[in-house]
Order: sequence, then C-alpha cells, then structure tokens
Amino acid sequence: MRALNKLWNSWRGLFRDPIQPFGIASVLLLVALAIAPAKDHFSEWHYYQHGYLRLIKNRRDAAVLQRHFEPGIHQIWLPDLGVVDRCETCHLGLTETSLGDIKMEPYSRHPVIPHSMQQFGCVMCHRGQGVATTVAGAHESALSSDGPILPAQYSEASCGQCHHAPLEGTPTLNQGRFLLARYGCVRCHTIKLPDGTSMQPADTPPPLSHIADKTTREWIYAWLRDPKSYAATATMPNFLLSDNDARDISGFLIANSVPEPGDTATLKPPKAGGSVDPTAGASLYGESFCASCHAMQNAAGNVVGGDLGPELTAIGTKVKPEWLTAWLRDPRNYDAGTPMPHYRFTDQQLALLTGFLESKTNTDLLANVHLDPATPAQIAHGKKLVEEYGCASCHEIRGVAKPDNYGPELSQIGSKPVAQLVFVKGMPETLPAYLSTKIKHPRIFGPGLHMPQFSFTPEQVDALTTALLSLTDRSVTLPAKLQIPTPQQTDYEPAGKAGQLMADLNCMACHRINGHGGTMAPDLSWEGSSVQKQWLDAFLKNPNTLRPTLIRRMPKFNLTDEERAELTDYIMTAYQNPDIDRDAMPLSGYSPDQVEHGRELFYGKYACQSCHMVDPAKDKGYIGPPLTEVGSRLNAEWIYLWLKNPQKLRPGTIEPNHDMSDDDARALTAFLMAQKGAGSQKTGTRTASVSASGTKGAGE
Amino acid sequence: MQLQKQASRLDKLMASRLWKSIFRSGRGASTLHRSMAIQQNVFLHILPTKVRRRMLNFDATWYLGTLTLGTFLLLVITGILLMFYYHPSVPQAYADMKDLRYVVSSGLFLRNLHRWSAHAMVLLAFAHMFRVFYRGAYRPPREFNWVVGVILLLVTLLLSYTGYLLPWDQLAFWAITVGSNISSAVPVVGHKIHFLLLGGNLVNANALLRFYVLHTVILPLAAVLFIAVHFWRIRKDGGLYVQQSEPARETAEEARADENTQQVVVKQ
Amino acid sequence: MTGPSDYIAGVSSDARKAPRRVVFVTRRTSAHVRSVDEEQVQTWPEALFRAALIVEMLVIALVLISLFFNAPLEGIANPTVTPNPAKAPWYFLGLQEMLHYFPPVVAGVMIPTLLVVALVVIPYFNINIRPDGVFLKHRRRNLTVFYVVAVSLSLFLWFFDVYVALVPTLVAAAFMLIAAYSGPQSPGRFRRYLVSRPVSWWIMTWFLLELVVLTMVGTFFRGPGWSWVLPWRS
Repeated sequence: MRALNKLWNSWRGLFRDPIQPFGIASVLLLVALAIAPAKDHFSEWHYYQHGYLRLIKNRRDAAVLQRHFEPGIHQIWLPDLGVVDRCETCHLGLTETSLGDIKMEPYSRHPVIPHSMQQFGCVMCHRGQGVATTVAGAHESALSSDGPILPAQYSEASCGQCHHAPLEGTPTLNQGRFLLARYGCVRCHTIKLPDGTSMQPADTPPPLSHIADKTTREWIYAWLRDPKSYAATATMPNFLLSDNDARDISGFLIANSVPEPGDTATLKPPKAGGSVDPTAGASLYGESFCASCHAMQNAAGNVVGGDLGPELTAIGTKVKPEWLTAWLRDPRNYDAGTPMPHYRFTDQQLALLTGFLESKTNTDLLANVHLDPATPAQIAHGKKLVEEYGCASCHEIRGVAKPDNYGPELSQIGSKPVAQLVFVKGMPETLPAYLSTKIKHPRIFGPGLHMPQFSFTPEQVDALTTALLSLTDRSVTLPAKLQIPTPQQTDYEPAGKAGQLMADLNCMACHRINGHGGTMAPDLSWEGSSVQKQWLDAFLKNPNTLRPTLIRRMPKFNLTDEERAELTDYIMTAYQNPDIDRDAMPLSGYSPDQVEHGRELFYGKYACQSCHMVDPAKDKGYIGPPLTEVGSRLNAEWIYLWLKNPQKLRPGTIEPNHDMSDDDARALTAFLMAQKGAGSQKTGTRTASVSASGTKGAGE
Repeated sequence: MQLQKQASRLDKLMASRLWKSIFRSGRGASTLHRSMAIQQNVFLHILPTKVRRRMLNFDATWYLGTLTLGTFLLLVITGILLMFYYHPSVPQAYADMKDLRYVVSSGLFLRNLHRWSAHAMVLLAFAHMFRVFYRGAYRPPREFNWVVGVILLLVTLLLSYTGYLLPWDQLAFWAITVGSNISSAVPVVGHKIHFLLLGGNLVNANALLRFYVLHTVILPLAAVLFIAVHFWRIRKDGGLYVQQSEPARETAEEARADENTQQVVVKQ
Repeated sequence: MTGPSDYIAGVSSDARKAPRRVVFVTRRTSAHVRSVDEEQVQTWPEALFRAALIVEMLVIALVLISLFFNAPLEGIANPTVTPNPAKAPWYFLGLQEMLHYFPPVVAGVMIPTLLVVALVVIPYFNINIRPDGVFLKHRRRNLTVFYVVAVSLSLFLWFFDVYVALVPTLVAAAFMLIAAYSGPQSPGRFRRYLVSRPVSWWIMTWFLLELVVLTMVGTFFRGPGWSWVLPWRS
C-alpha cells in the first residue's frame, strides 16, 4: 500500500517539473520506435535465407546455387487461382535438382510431380497460408481459406480437387472414394460433384418391406444390436442401439412387413431326391462360383470370398429355407435391384444349395434372444426410431418415406472452416483430425447424434478422410481451362431380347460396358472385336477362368442353348470397336517361318514369358493371363493392334507399350495365333500351313 | 523554476532571420515572449496564453483530454501511413492486410499501433466524459463545450466503427453487419438509412468504399473541426474548470448573472 | 472616465509573474467576489511540456503493446459463414446485449437516441447543476420519487428477464438507500460522501455501472447463440 502510494506520488511529481521526465520519455520513445524495424530485420525468413547461404557455401555446386539464389521475398502469383505463395522465400531448394541429398527443411528438393510449381503454386496441394512469411503463419494458421498445412498422409486429397476419375498415383484417394460409395455414405450425405452429378452409392441395402418372409424378429434384433456379431464383414454399421430400441425397431419391421405378392407357391422347399448329400451342395456352391461375390468363413477361421454380396457364414441362422429357395430361384422377384444374377437352377440344385446354405448356422447368435410379442406402443416407438435414424435413407421400408439429405451435405466438406467445427477436448483442432475422428467415433461430438459406428481399419479411415478432404470449393472455383471434364455417366442398358437376358443375369454388376457397370470383371465394350465367336459360346456354356489364381470367377448360369446363342450373337455384333475390322487378319494359316520368328521375339527381344506363359511346363509368367489357348480365344487383328498399343485398346492396362514395329507385331501375332490350346503348343508351328505370301497379303 | 536550458547553437538558430520569419514571437523567456508564442501560432492560438498552476497537477484532470487528442494525432499519422498500402476493394483489402502482416516492413507494427490506439481513443474519450461530468465541469458557462464533447464522442465512435470494416475479415464483416442491421429498426425510414449507410442491402464492396471515405476523409475532418472548437471554447469559457472555486450553493441563474458581472480582483 | 494613473494603480507589483485582471467598478454594480486569486503560469512552456510528456508516455505504452500484441485478423469476409456469436465492436456490446432482450426499435434506436439526448441536455437542466445531496432538501418528496422510480425500473427489468441490467440497478439503488438513511453527521466518511451526492451524480453513476457491466458481459461472457459462457472456460 505504501509502495503504491509512493508510486502514485512520484507519478504526480512528474507533472511538477516535467523537463527531465520529458527528456527521458523522448529517448525512450525513440528507442521503442526503433524496435519495430529491428524486429523486421531479424524476421524468420531472413534467418532461413542466411541458413541457406551457409548450407550451400561449401558445396561443390555452390557457384550454381548461389547464382540461382536471390535475396528477398519470393512469390508465385497466380491471379486465376487466387494464389499468392511465398513459400519459396524459405523453401529455397525446391527446384534445385542438385540438392537431392539435402534432407534438412526448409531446404530440401521437391519430389518430382506431374505439375509445374509455377503453374499451380504450393497451397493448391499443400494448403496452408501461402502469403505468410513466418513458419507458424504459413503452416499452422487456420485463417486462410485453405486452413493449415495438409498432413502428408492426406496429400492425395489435393489431386482429387481437379481429378474426379481414379488416378494411377492416388491409391488412397481412389480407395476412399470407393468406400464412400461402397459403404453407402452417400446415401445419407449428398456429395455433389462439380459437373452437377452426385456421387452414387455402390452398396446394395436390401428392401425391408417384406422382411418377415425372409427372416425372424430375433435375428433382426441380434443384427441391429451388432451387425458384426452375425457377420464379420457386415456392411451395415452399428447404430449403437439400446436393447429396448432394438426390440422396438425389430417389432416394427416385422409388424410392418407384408408378404411378397409374387411367386408364393415356391416358398415350399422342393423335395430333394433321396438323402441330401452335404458335399454335393458344397460343390454346387463352388461350381456356381458363389464365392466370387459372397464370403464365408472357412475351417481356419478366415473369411474367404468376394464382398459384392453378403457374407454367408451363418446364413442358416438368418434366412428361412423357403425364402432362400425362392430367392435362389429368382432373386429379382424379392428385390428388383439386387446385383445377384438369376441362375437357372433346377429344383434338384435348388434343394441342394438351400440345404447346404441352411446348414451354415451360428447357434450362439440367437441363443440368448428372447423377445415377447411387440406391443403397439413398442411398434409405434420402433417406427419413430426408424424415422429418427434415417433407416429409409438406405432401405426401402413400407410406409416410411426416404428422407432427403438425412445427413449434412458433404459436397464441400474439404473446405469447411475450422471455426464451424465442434471439437472434442484434447484432439487437434484441424479439419483432417475432425474428419477422421468423426469417422472413427461418430457419436463423441455431442449428444443426439445419429451417425452409426462403422468399423473401418486405420487405412480405410485415412482413405475416407482423404476422399472427403478432396471435396473442396476450389474444385468448383477452378478456372475453366483447368477443369478436367468427368466422363459422363449414362444409364446404359443393352437392348432387345439379349438385353433382357443380360439384365436378368446382371452382367453389368461385374462387367463394364461403354463406361457403365461394375469393375470386378473385364470390360466388355469391345468384346466382339476381341474374341472369337466359338470361344465365347463355349465360355458361356462352361466358364473356366482365364486366370486360375483368382478367386473371383465368372459363374455358370445354366443357360439354355437358345439363350446362349442369343447372347453370343448380341455380344459379337453389338460390342465391337468401330476402328477394328476383326476379320482383317486370318485366325490361322501363318507361315512356320513367321511363327518361328514370333517365338524368337516372344522369348528373346520382348521377353513376354516373364509375365505370360505359353508353355506351362517352361514359362513362369503369372502376372498377365496365360496364353496357352490364346489362338482359339482372340482375333488376330485384335492381338496385332494390342501388341502395337495396348493402352489404346484398354486404357490403364499394365501391359507395357513396346512401340513394336509392324513386322514384329505381325510375327508375334502369328506365333500367338498358333497357340490353340490343349497340347497344341508343340504342334502349333506345324499346323500353320498357309503360305507366307497369303499372310502378308492379309496383313497389308 | 528553471524550465529551459538552451544550447548556444539553438540560440543562434533561433536568432536567425529564417527562424524569425517563421516564428514571429521571437526569442526570450519573458512572459510577453511566451504569450506571443501562443498567440502568434495558428495552431496554438486557440489555447489560452496562461493557465492556472494547480490545473497542471496530474490529479486535476488526469490529462484525459490531452491523451485523447494524443491518440487522435497518433491515429492520423499511422492512418496516413496505412493508406499507402490499402485498397478499399474486395478482396484486395484483405490481401493488403496479409501483405501488411507478412511483407511490408513494420507493416504489422503499424497496423497494431493504429488498432490499439483506436481502442485507446474510444476508451479515453469515455473516461474523459465521465471525469468531466464528475468534476462538474459541464456547468455554465461551459454547457456548449460539453455538447461539443458529446459530438466528438460520437465522431470518435463512428471513426472507430467505420474503421472496423476496413480489414474486410470475418470480424469486420459481421460486426458491421450486426451494427448496421440496427439502423433498419428505425421506424419508417430504417431501410432507407440502412441502404444509404451501406450503399446496398448487404455489407459489400460499396459499403467498404463508403466506410473508407467516411473513415479517411469526412469523419477525420469533422473531428479536427470539433476538436478545434472544443479547445477554443476552453479558452473562451475561462480556462479549465476549477472545482474548489465554485461557491457551494451556486445556481444556474446566478452563474449566468455572473457572466455579466465582471470578475473583480481585490488587491491584497 | 479615469486617468492613466488610476489604471496603473490597479496592477499588482508582481504583474510580470502573474498578471491580474482588472475591472473598473461603476457605481451601480456590486462588487461580488467570485474567485480568490490564484497563481497562473504561461501555457508555453508549462502546460505544453506537460502535455507532450503525457502524450509521449501514452505513445510509448501503445508502441510496446503494438510490438507484443497483434491486432486480430480473422479469415476473409464470407457472407455465407456466420460466426457464432457475431459480435459488434466492444463499445457497442452493451447495446447488443440490450438487443438480446428488447426489440430492435427499443434497444437499437430508442435507447441510443435517448442516451445521446440525455447527454446533450445535461448542462441545461438546473437539477444537474444543483450540488445538493439528493435527500437533504425536500426529503419526503425525493424519497417517494426514488422509491417509485427504483421499484418500477427494477420490476420492468425483472419482467423482461434483463438480469444483467437489473443487478447494477439494484446495486445503485442500495447505495442510494444508504444515502437516504444517513445524514451529514453520520459516522464514516463514505456515508457522508454519499449523502452529499446530487441526483445527477446518482443517475450518471447508475449509467456508468450499467455501461461497464453490460459491455463486460457482452465482451467476455457471451458465447454461441448469445448464451452465457465463462471466459476462462473455452
């Protein structure tokens, strides 16, 4: 108190005789004013430029580097993109090719990328604040429209701002986009693309309007409580429902279900002739290549098989046998949108397969589920919950409308300002951290959230985060000259009788035709130009796989002869490449000399055997398809053109383009056309009997 | 009390013809010279030539008015410097803020100084007003100077408010949006006023330009004008108000009557 | 009139140091002494140096603040992204706080207009000039007016849930009550001080309290949706 008084008195004293204090204050003022320019002189970028000069001083390439170095602030200014990047003020070695050995930041060289830095600047890809000339301002500031620096694990997101089609160099981004569609994220969250279309889901949630035909309330209850307890690979996420909520929803779904009006007569399992042989069912399951789409847990506990359809490990616990039979007979009757093909099973086969699948049970699952009949109040509550949780966003449910935009739209989530996000205590307050945490623990951000719990691996979470981060508003504001048009998706449907057949078989669930359809099986757009008719017919009759190492195989559909002829004709006619005349080169009749020359090229100059095999006893190439029967499978002209430029016929194929001369390609074609399959490799050269002149004529 | 120690060189300079042509008051420490220094200076002549000694004590006024003027001068200087770097256009205005922050030498310091001085000025103007009130210095014959002071407070607030928009960041935009929306609430002509203020229905590039002109031309001129009146009035109203000299039971009528009665000094 | 010798006689001997004003008293006016004589000094240099000193100190303080604290700068203005809460500059936050309770016509137009008018007219009302303690003269009448105004104002604020403004009102009223029930002979300097306060002092003090409390609340205690938050818990 006394000290304060003293201070006060001495302060007042200043105004009794101001001259001396005035002098002192003037000096202090000058000193204070001088601090600001001094602070400027010791700024961070000065420090880093001095450091760079010290770094290059004693190097052998010092002279060149010093010549490149200019003191002062450097910037890349791109008015079109709104980019002013001063990163190069400190990152001085970005374009110095000779600095490859420097690992010390900020001086290291930038890795080689397909774009020029002068064209896009830095923040387009790395985010951060380009105008800043301080370390914290450039890297950590959340102020700029781009937010802080993008962590390296998500850097592929930046490619996705402009490139909306999959790129070879961005596996994480591609996977993330695939997962967004595969796990139905886009059913609740709309994602609009810059071209005006929306991202489409690629999952197949079943309709629930007739669910009582298919399964029991107990199974629904167990499934709702935790889908993973039934199938480890379940697509449906866990909604973290309480026992009562699961009870009420299952009650509502059963009460709401009406019997499927269609083919009710088949709901009885047909009598199998004699005793059912379990191995017969298993082998039918194998022969039909069900495992191409469906997974099942094997004896070792591994889940093996495709993931296009649901896992079947405990299918017997889930579905009723009569429903299963009806389903196998014609799946489209129950679910018009299912990708499951319509097999033409006989009643005998249906019984075998139903028996086999019903034997796949998990008795533990429903052991402790005892549900009293649902009361109307519970059913009403169940309906309320179904609406609340947006179940109808994915499933068709009688009497419940599909909600529009159930979840927030994510079209520009990658540019969401941090200020608009709510964070959980202790987590880093950045957009990538928010997204990945939200995917991992959707409900921790507050009460009343409805997003379900998925069980993604850390890699999948990173991939999803990358895909979401790529949805920035930059992709919308890009100047027209930089926009990459996305291939227009059209609703392609094959026409005519064959078209109906293809729809019934659901060919396009796996195959891609004219830019439409699945990606699991080969693209069939130019199949008619590529393969020989006899081979196609035989293949449809009994599809054997071209690549024995693959699990996914073409199923055997038990087509009738008429159906097969229809399909073969249609494919051979409709799916031709207009630039290819498939009859331009003969299927056989190449001169032995040419074949021999081709063989030399195959094993010598081009070393094709490192990826392909012609002689299974000798060759070890497993990367490409085996070519032992290629002469009876493919057209000569196709092979020839393929050899000349594989990427032209199938963009993205890994077959290298050898830039072959016409003669080499012709000789190799002759050699390959001589590979007619089963034991003909050795005699192939001899069977080619037509004169060389004829071949030449055909080639020219 | 010897206030000045003059160096001989300074003496010589002040004796020069050039100096004398500028400063007519001439040199010398006499009362006359010192009075002349005030009277003959266009800027200082609005001040009285002499002041009561005890009004110079810190306790008397806390120098709040002087400090407010000091912040104003500082704001004028820093403001003019900032004008060299600033474009009142969208989005260049915001880019200029970033350039001031990261590229302009001492640009950040300049902006900080302007910003904090502006806050200080508002605070000091309020403090000045309350201090004047509690001292009773608004009483006749100083009524009108109090009114000028209220006008200056409003001008200060408007200066600060118009300057608030100029960085064109979120803080600026939404503060002005919130503030200008209030004007729409004026009955009948509210929306017209709002439109006139912003040059549009929303805070946009027009509003930025309007606020810039107000902030850098119109309001500073108004401030200078009223500050001059404010100081001149101090002199005309008999110097700074002296609290203790106020008779305990004076009424307004008496005070006005006193204006007619001349002050009488009784020789001791 | 008078000769030059009379004029000289009126000037004090140390006129050089402190010149005196002189008046000639005619017969019809009474010589009323308004102020005792007091020492005066030259504005230059006495006042100007002191002014320069205090301004320099202020500039030093502001320069140091500017060197160590950066002016806020957020992201570029974006009309589509509304920060929550969107706050006006601090000196308008008292008004914004009022806007939270009253319609814009009241809080945004009437209150500020009344404030400005009230400030302007202060020196033109005798009630503001009279320096008497509010309860010393016409005690009964003034006490009645005080109770009516204080109770109705408090009820009004309470009715509209304006607790932020109610609390300072009650505090001011409490001190006025102390003043009302004390006298010039009360023990304690503070009580005697309160007793001597005129009504204008009370109104201005109430206004100052409101201004400080409302501005502080608006600046530090208001969060998303203008909800009540504690500044130390972000």
